[in-house]
Amino acid sequence: MSESAVRTRRWTRVEYDKLIETGFLGPGDKIELLGGQLCVSEPQNNPHATAISLGLEAIRHALAPGWHVRVQLPIALDDESEPEPDLAVVSGGPRDYADHPSRPALVVEVADSSLALDREHKGSLYARARLPEYWIVNLVDRVLEVHRESGPDAGAPYGWAYRVVLTLGPDEHVTPLAAPSARLLVADFLP
Amino acid sequence: MQTTYPRTRRWTRAEYDRLIDKGVFQPDERLELLAGHLVVREPQGDPHTLAIELANEALRTAFGPEWRVRVQLPIALDDESEPEPDVSVAPGPLREDSEAKPSRLVLVVEIAQSSLTLDREYKASLYARARVPEYWILNLGDRVLEVYREPHPDASAPHGWAYRSRQDLAAGEHVTPLAAPTARIAVAELLP
Repeated sequence: MSESAVRTRRWTRVEYDKLIETGFLGPGDKIELLGGQLCVSEPQNNPHATAISLGLEAIRHALAPGWHVRVQLPIALDDESEPEPDLAVVSGGPRDYADHPSRPALVVEVADSSLALDREHKGSLYARARLPEYWIVNLVDRVLEVHRESGPDAGAPYGWAYRVVLTLGPDEHVTPLAAPSARLLVADFLP
Repeated sequence: MQTTYPRTRRWTRAEYDRLIDKGVFQPDERLELLAGHLVVREPQGDPHTLAIELANEALRTAFGPEWRVRVQLPIALDDESEPEPDVSVAPGPLREDSEAKPSRLVLVVEIAQSSLTLDREYKASLYARARVPEYWILNLGDRVLEVYREPHPDASAPHGWAYRSRQDLAAGEHVTPLAAPTARIAVAELLP
C-alpha cells in the first residue's frame, strides 16, 4: 500500500502561515502548501538554478511596465495552497502587495526530476485556481511546455487541467498572454 | 495515468506533541502520528465503539490490576509515531508517576470496520517495526479476531517490518495473550 492511501491531515493556508510565524516551519524547511498538504521541495541542481536566472532575464525584458517577476516566492493561490513557483509574473510593483499575490498572469516551473509532479499535480492545482498560463521549462526534453485554457477534468488530481499544451523546441518562439507584443526564443530559457 | 504524489513533510513525535501543546489543531480533530504523517482517524460506528468496550472489559479481566489497559490513548511508539490504538496494554500498575504515554506495549488491539487495509498493512508494519510482540485486529466485517505475532524484518512491508505469524480465530474459539499466559478469552466475548 502506498502512503497516499492514508488520509493525512490537510492544512489551510491560514494555518500554514501560522506554522511559519510560530516557528514550526523554518527557513531550513523547503516546503510548499499544495492542496492542503505540506509538500517537500526537492533540492535544486545547477541547471535548475541556471534556468531560473535565464527565464527571469527573458521574461523581464518582454514585459511592459506595470508587471514584475517574483522568483521562488509564495503565491496565495487558494485556501489550501501556497506554492512557491520558480517564476511568477504579477501585476504592479513589489510594494503593491501587503500579502502574497494571488493571481499571477503567468507561472513558470523549471522541471528535471520533478517533471511528472509539475505536469500533473501542480498543473492541476494552477488550473483549478484558473491561472491563465503555466509554463514548464522541461530540462529533460529541452522544450518549453505552454499550458493554457484551464477547465474541469475529473481525472486530474485536483479536478482541473489545462486543455491546451504547446510543446516548443529551442528554435521556436513563445508570446506570453500578458505581453502580446513580445516574442521570446525558447533557446533563451534553456541552460 | 499513474499519478505522482509529492513527498510530504514528516513530523517527529516531539514536534507533534508541541503542535498539540500550542493548540494548533482543532479540539474536535482526531489524529494519529504514523511514521511522521498526521493521519486522520475515520469516524466510528456503533459496533466499533461497543467492540472497544467489550475488548476493554475482557482485557482488564484477563490482565488484572498489575497492567495498564488503555482505550484510545496515545502511545509513544517511536520517534515519528504516536498512534492511539483502540485498546493497548502496557506494564503497570498505574501510579501518579507512570509514563503518561507508555512506550513498551505488550499488546495492541485495533477494531476494524472500514479501516481493515490500513490496520492490516500500514499499522501492522508500524507496530511490528516497534517490536510490539502481539497485535490483534478485531475484524468486525468477517467476525474474526486476527492475532499477529513475531515481528520480523520484511522489505516488502510499508515500514520494513511485518508479523511472521497470523492466526484467524472465529467466534467459537479462544485466545490467550502472550503476556497473560493463564488467561483464556472467548472470541465471542469480543464481538458485538
